[in-house]
Amino acid sequence: METEDDLCHNNWGSSSSKSREPGSSDGGNQTFAGFTSQQKWEDASILDYEMGVEPTLQVFDEMKASGQANVDFLQGVRAQAWDPRTMLSNLSFMEQKIHQLQDLVHLLVGRGGQVQGRQDELAAQQQQLITTDLTSIIIQLISTAGSLLPSVKHNMSTAPGPYTGQPGSALFPYAREANNVASQSQNNNNCGGQEFDLPKPVVVDERESHVVEEHEMKDEDDAEEGENLPPGSYEILQLEKEEILAPHTHFCTICGKGFKRDANLRMHMRGHGDEYKTAAALAKPNKESVPGSEPMLIKRYSCPFLGCKRNKEHKKFQPLKTILCVKNHYKRTHCDKSFTCSRCHTKKFSVIADLKTHEKHCGKNKWLCSCGTTFSRKDKLFGHIALFQGHTPAIPLEETKTSASTSAQRGSSEGGNNNQGMVGFNLGSASNANQETAQPGMTDGKISFEEPFSPMNFDTCNFGGFHEFPRLMFDDSESSFQMLIANACGFSPRNVGESVSDTSL
Amino acid sequence: MSTSPSILSVLSEDLLVRVYECLDQPCRKTWRLISKDFLRVDSLTRTTIRILRVEFLPTLLFKYPNLSSLDLSVCPKLDDDVVLRLALDGTVSTLGIKSLNLSRSTAVRARGLETLARMCHALERVDVSHCWGFGDREAAALSSATGLRELKMDKCLSLSDVGLARIVVGCSNLNKISLKWCMEISDLGIDLLCKICKGLKSLDVSYLKITNDSIRSIALLVKLEVLDMVSCPLIDDGGLQFLENGSPSLQEVDVTRCDRVSLSGLISIVRGHPDIQLLKASHCVSEVSGSFLKYIKGLKHLKTIWIDGAHVSDSSLVSLSSSCRSLMEIGLSRCVDVTDIGMISLARNCLNLKTLNLACCGFVTDVAISAVAQSCRNLGTLKLESCHLITEKGLQSLGCYSKLVQELDLTDCYGVNDRGLEYISKCSNLQRLKLGLCTNISDKGIFHIGSKCSKLLELDLYRCAGFGDDGLAALSRGCKSLNRLILSYCCELTDTGVEQIRQLELLSHLELRGLKNITGVGLAAIASGCKKLGYLDVKLCENIDDSGFWALAYFSKNLRQVQK
Repeated sequence: METEDDLCHNNWGSSSSKSREPGSSDGGNQTFAGFTSQQKWEDASILDYEMGVEPTLQVFDEMKASGQANVDFLQGVRAQAWDPRTMLSNLSFMEQKIHQLQDLVHLLVGRGGQVQGRQDELAAQQQQLITTDLTSIIIQLISTAGSLLPSVKHNMSTAPGPYTGQPGSALFPYAREANNVASQSQNNNNCGGQEFDLPKPVVVDERESHVVEEHEMKDEDDAEEGENLPPGSYEILQLEKEEILAPHTHFCTICGKGFKRDANLRMHMRGHGDEYKTAAALAKPNKESVPGSEPMLIKRYSCPFLGCKRNKEHKKFQPLKTILCVKNHYKRTHCDKSFTCSRCHTKKFSVIADLKTHEKHCGKNKWLCSCGTTFSRKDKLFGHIALFQGHTPAIPLEETKTSASTSAQRGSSEGGNNNQGMVGFNLGSASNANQETAQPGMTDGKISFEEPFSPMNFDTCNFGGFHEFPRLMFDDSESSFQMLIANACGFSPRNVGESVSDTSL
Repeated sequence: MSTSPSILSVLSEDLLVRVYECLDQPCRKTWRLISKDFLRVDSLTRTTIRILRVEFLPTLLFKYPNLSSLDLSVCPKLDDDVVLRLALDGTVSTLGIKSLNLSRSTAVRARGLETLARMCHALERVDVSHCWGFGDREAAALSSATGLRELKMDKCLSLSDVGLARIVVGCSNLNKISLKWCMEISDLGIDLLCKICKGLKSLDVSYLKITNDSIRSIALLVKLEVLDMVSCPLIDDGGLQFLENGSPSLQEVDVTRCDRVSLSGLISIVRGHPDIQLLKASHCVSEVSGSFLKYIKGLKHLKTIWIDGAHVSDSSLVSLSSSCRSLMEIGLSRCVDVTDIGMISLARNCLNLKTLNLACCGFVTDVAISAVAQSCRNLGTLKLESCHLITEKGLQSLGCYSKLVQELDLTDCYGVNDRGLEYISKCSNLQRLKLGLCTNISDKGIFHIGSKCSKLLELDLYRCAGFGDDGLAALSRGCKSLNRLILSYCCELTDTGVEQIRQLELLSHLELRGLKNITGVGLAAIASGCKKLGYLDVKLCENIDDSGFWALAYFSKNLRQVQK
């Protein structure tokens, strides 16, 4: 607990101290430093989530202590403002709000001791009251802060220079700070049992997208319950289908080469001349995704597919958080699944990352139900079978069963001659094997794991698959071997001896 | 001969059926060989058939339209091809075969099984025990017989949970299933079985490596009556406690050789099921204590109890027998503490006793045997192996009073002599007699047996070196229905005696191990006479030459196993 608090404290310190030296010449590094602290913040807030009421209160204490630093920092920002008057009014409003917040927290701290001892109901009620106040203040705070941000950015875009990158980066931690306060209050809310999710201003940063990617992929479905934004509190953007599916989103203005990430584009641009090698040119443009001067709203995305739940026309519209979410959602839901697993030849995916995730585990799910569902554990399969009526575990190598009828007809149509019957059987199995290669993997709706085992297509036999079911393959060959012996023995009719014996003896 | 057809032609068909029903098996055979009327009656009324030669299967199935039970267990050449050809014939599908015995038919695999299962719509009972190669695919094939009610899969070694699950899902109406020696089956399979086949009445999980979890699932079976779990090494008292409050219909439990089961486990079963009829706990309880006896007293319906290998004092046997008076079967083998006092009390209290196993109870004497013979007139089976104190006096009372005795095991009882055999021969219903290692018997005693015990089916004379060819001749003349004869190490026997065996036409199991005096001539004689011979042991018969085996090859079409 102590270390977590320390961490929080340090972060407060570092972010504000960074912002207090705006005159630093090293713009690129500054940005990076800002980002690292920002990352730490995220971590800290995650940690906060796991803490109870008490630690939250402690954090609030910390915040109170650093409140002054915060204001100082705001004044530092003011010096860079484009329109000082509106800026000033905004800031004084924020100052006022922060004081209000402080008072509230005081109240909270004052009661904190009593809360423990008091009746649960009463305590919960009061806490709820306080937290609702708190959240309303925080929302106001954030929206004001949001309106501050674009004006600064506007400044940056209109007057490009070696130092202009800084205010944005300096401001960024602030936005995060606000966010963090919000997350703490949210935490508080959760303790009070109230459902409230605070919007997080998410700026899509291509450089950290590889981190985001993993999180978002898993979070996408969870977001349905997590995201509970009031309508109108965010801005809805809708990308076109072509835009979503475009392989590259960043293009070189000189040679036209496309890139997935703007950082890569900037690296590429260096080759086009020295002017692209300056620190400013290489700095990460924060502007890009935020258009113009309108007040900054949280951005949410809509899927261009009409009728989709993620489309803004839908009655129960659930917005998508980031562009990456849009891309993955659109590919997964509205596109062909063109990536097939090279191992099982069954599972198909439209997002290549999903395929890779699957391939990591493919083959491990060797417990297969007749409905096609696979399980990595036997007990899970048996639980599934017990649950669903009529489902049975599938036995790999199903094709021998289906070929049984054909080979039976063939074998027995040859009549009494056993040798011919045997040949017939071979033909039957061979033709069946051909069928198998024609449509690998699927046999009358059931998935067969096995590569067909027949001399005719032995070359194409997948030895990976072969090893996974060695017993079964051997079994099969054994049975056909037995068949062979049986046929070789034949049935020479012998009339000597009894053919019937009485059972009751 | 000329008159008999006319008599038969007078009788209407239903009367013929009645007459035919009154005949015993050998007579029936004789009659249907000489009379077309009876042959017709037989073909119409026969419901069970046991096929020895697969070549005749289609014709036989055609001739007997009312068959409901088909036994293919002694049909070694049965395989998938035959079955598939049968399917083309179509005769099987028209038959209403309900019971199918495929025991030991290892050549039939998944394909054949599935075809059979599809052909026999009415199939209810299937026995595929000892088809050691059977696995999941065969099980899957069987599962297409959806009406299956009884299934025996003993020693299908490759059968795993997956195969069991196929059967369970396919045949959810199962009443009875035996999974003995299916070593791959685990708790998961048993759990699924118990969840889906709710109507299960009989379950055999002997020798499986299942744990208490399985017992927990089994305890949920409301209709379960019979539970066999012989030698389940992982089950302990904790598992049996689940049975105390579960399976309310349970009547028979067998926990023989479950190493971890002790008396407290048995007590919990008994406590939960006061109506239990059968309790087999041989070689797992070490002692019958007072607390156990207290609970045993409540079991008014107990008919069978096996506590072999436990320390049973006379006082416990007295209180056991006085509380469970309806006891019909008791197993006390290797209960070395049992003496005459306990046995006399048992005999006085349990008058309905039918089966008594006293093997290796060394202190039991003629007094106890006489008491049992006098009181328990229904005694059918008596096992006295290694009871060295038994003499002809005990056997005398047996011969006098126990007229119904069918099985008598006197292996390794020195006290048995020719006089004793004379007394025993008065038990005219005797079917199984074991006299192995009784070295004091000679031709005279064997002659008594041969002349009076005509119903004898099984005779064990292992290492009875005292008798010779004359005795064997008497046996062969008198005991015509013998089908199992063990003469190993009866060194006196020569070709002259062994040749007499050919009179035993029904003989199917013959052991002649270590008979140095017999040659190919004797073996040839046996082969020519005993057409049903299926098992022959001629190990260490050094003087048998090729001529004997040629004869064997020529005559014995049903031979399955030769030890040499």
